[in-house]
Amino acid sequence: MTRPYEVVYIFDPALDEETINQKLTHFHSLVQAPGAEAPALNHWGKRTLSYPIRKKDTGYYVVANFSALGTALPEFERAVKLDEAVMRHLIVLNEEPPTPAQAAVAKSEYEEEE
Amino acid sequence: MSRQKKGDPIAELRIRIIDYKDEKLLARFISERGKILPRRLSGVSARHQRQLQVAIKRARFLALLPYIKGYRG
Repeated sequence: MTRPYEVVYIFDPALDEETINQKLTHFHSLVQAPGAEAPALNHWGKRTLSYPIRKKDTGYYVVANFSALGTALPEFERAVKLDEAVMRHLIVLNEEPPTPAQAAVAKSEYEEEE
Repeated sequence: MSRQKKGDPIAELRIRIIDYKDEKLLARFISERGKILPRRLSGVSARHQRQLQVAIKRARFLALLPYIKGYRG
């Protein structure tokens, strides 16, 4: 049974986008179930970190959503952990993603208040 | 003098799932020092406070929110 996962990567800001994309393709090839859709990627790009990680003040954020078998995850996470380019990563189950419409409504409302 | 009853701010925004990536929203529920605000101050429902707690901790891990705000060691 595949389950929906969401992974957030924080890459070293010194890397160029091409290298990052290569690494992402490699990581995701480890969890890709046969016939499954390609992972949905969302590049946030360089962002200032709230606190330094590995003595760096910025990081390149990428959010990936995909369905995978739980059994494929340990192998995937091992590869991510071993990669020096990934400063930090977070894998969470995404059982009930917020519908875009809802999120958009909520967002516009609280942004108005500010 | 009676205290004013405030509604749950999360419920008012009609957010069903609190997203740990939404640091703008989460930032409203941390103190000046970066601590998670108690329900008694923020008026959040117990259910949403539990979700908030997890979301804020995840956001901290991802350096979207600070663990300690305003500290320059």
